Amino acid sequence: MKVLGLDTSHYLNSVGIIEGERLLAGVTSSARSDSLVKIIANIDFAVKRAGLTLAQIDGFGVGLGPGSWTGIRVGVTVGKMLAYATGKPICGVSTLEALAREAFNANTLICSIIGGGTKDMIYAALYRQLNGAVKQEGDYYVGSPSGLAHLIKENVVIVGQEADFYAEYIKSLNIPDIKITEIKTIPQGSTIASLAQARLERGDKDNALALTPLYLKESAARIYQEVK
Amino acid sequence: MLVLGIETSCDETAAALVEDGRTILSSVIATQMDLLKKYGGVVPEVAARRHTELIGYVIEEALNKAGKSKEDIDAVAVTAKQGLIGCLLVGTAAAKTMSYALNVPLIGIHHIEGHIFANKLSNPDLPYPHVCLTVSGGHTMILYVAENCHYELMGTTVDDAAGEAFDKVAKFLGLGFPGGPVIDKAAQTGNIKAYKFPRPLIYAKNYDFSFSGLKTSVINTFKEQVANHEALPLPDIAASFQEAVVDVLVAKTIKAALERGVKALSVTGGVSANRRLRANFQTAAERNGLKVFFPSLSLCTDNGAMVAAAGYSRLMRGERSTLELDVIPSTPLEMTRGQD
Repeated sequence: MKVLGLDTSHYLNSVGIIEGERLLAGVTSSARSDSLVKIIANIDFAVKRAGLTLAQIDGFGVGLGPGSWTGIRVGVTVGKMLAYATGKPICGVSTLEALAREAFNANTLICSIIGGGTKDMIYAALYRQLNGAVKQEGDYYVGSPSGLAHLIKENVVIVGQEADFYAEYIKSLNIPDIKITEIKTIPQGSTIASLAQARLERGDKDNALALTPLYLKESAARIYQEVK
Repeated sequence: MLVLGIETSCDETAAALVEDGRTILSSVIATQMDLLKKYGGVVPEVAARRHTELIGYVIEEALNKAGKSKEDIDAVAVTAKQGLIGCLLVGTAAAKTMSYALNVPLIGIHHIEGHIFANKLSNPDLPYPHVCLTVSGGHTMILYVAENCHYELMGTTVDDAAGEAFDKVAKFLGLGFPGGPVIDKAAQTGNIKAYKFPRPLIYAKNYDFSFSGLKTSVINTFKEQVANHEALPLPDIAASFQEAVVDVLVAKTIKAALERGVKALSVTGGVSANRRLRANFQTAAERNGLKVFFPSLSLCTDNGAMVAAAGYSRLMRGERSTLELDVIPSTPLEMTRGQD
């Protein structure tokens, strides 16, 4: 099964195509404000690099976020319309889970972190590896890095693009008796593809047209409306 | 040629299928009226989220209603210029993906060019050259349209768009949202001469508009009456305000048409649905030996059909957008070229 995965959640634009355990092609480019400009070209590049045509892709995976709201809207819209136009199945994948997957060998707690646009705002989730996969523990976390540090009471591996920064920060809090390591990595399209493939092979898929980003945070206007 | 037109520049998620730029096979519009009423206007982040949820369903419904399949689509047109950036982005991402996956041409359209084509869709006999007033909640402009896809800007608003003034006055008077229809309705029973509101720039030598001062004048009148505990005849205020806006729009457009020596007028955009505007334009046009054209009511507000029609015209001229098409929130219409 050939699966194309894409993620545009974190000022990056990553596309990967896998078949089983094999990576057929991957392309990642930075995308501060030009996610929309590059995404189709990147998909096309990856498809051609893999020696395929779009019609030969058996299914899709898309990173739902959290992350840049504009970024995830581009990725999710492209993902759902790719699935719709080709008639192939798609699975939405949490970008935090894709990050945790990079640490699937870890025997400790895994903490995926994605920056929320400001210094004091992060998106995070805790995972533990289980039979070669990762399983989320508890809810998603949205808040300050210090609030997240309070949730960590055992050895942990921090995963994310700024993993080194957050690991240093948590170390600086001197939580007793825990060891903190880090894996500095970005959400990869190929990892999204791999997580989607696992579900697609079980016959599980999402309703393409209904896919929505994982915002984790309401827009300011809605919060204001609810307070009123 | 079957063109899929996609429009998400503001608060409507819309898609349509149009054959040869003339025949509308389907036009699906999902409004965000529930959200607009709740927030009293358009909130860009809220609107962009809703577009992302709806875009696929709207396109699918457009195909179903037209009795066509994805494979029947010959080209995709999308509003990529002029609008809220986060909203434009959703429609454009969807359009690019459809174009790529179906291997058909893509064309990015300027939102205002879409409105201009709404009138061509409703009135295939609309002649060139003509003068076009395009007026909505986001813009108010007078254009000289020499030929198909060839525009010269004669005047524009220096502050609020006319539709924006309607929205703000309606909100202030507590009439609700959107302002155009609620003021149109309230004005039906009102006296247009009850209040003397200013007609900004009506005698100015250029074709620019200004509605901010008029809006303030209405609001101040209302406040004074409240302070003096006077009765508040809302229909009279609405009718007098509407008359002031309509007077300026009609007078300047007619003047522009006479100056350029055209025989036809095209009035488009959301505000062109206003009944008083249509009636006064008809009278003034006849008096001056001009013929005035309006789009059908369903094509006044944002829709995908007008985008498909504009796209068809551009494609026929040999223009194409690449798959690197980007969105531009604000750019002049005269600069519009299809190749970027």
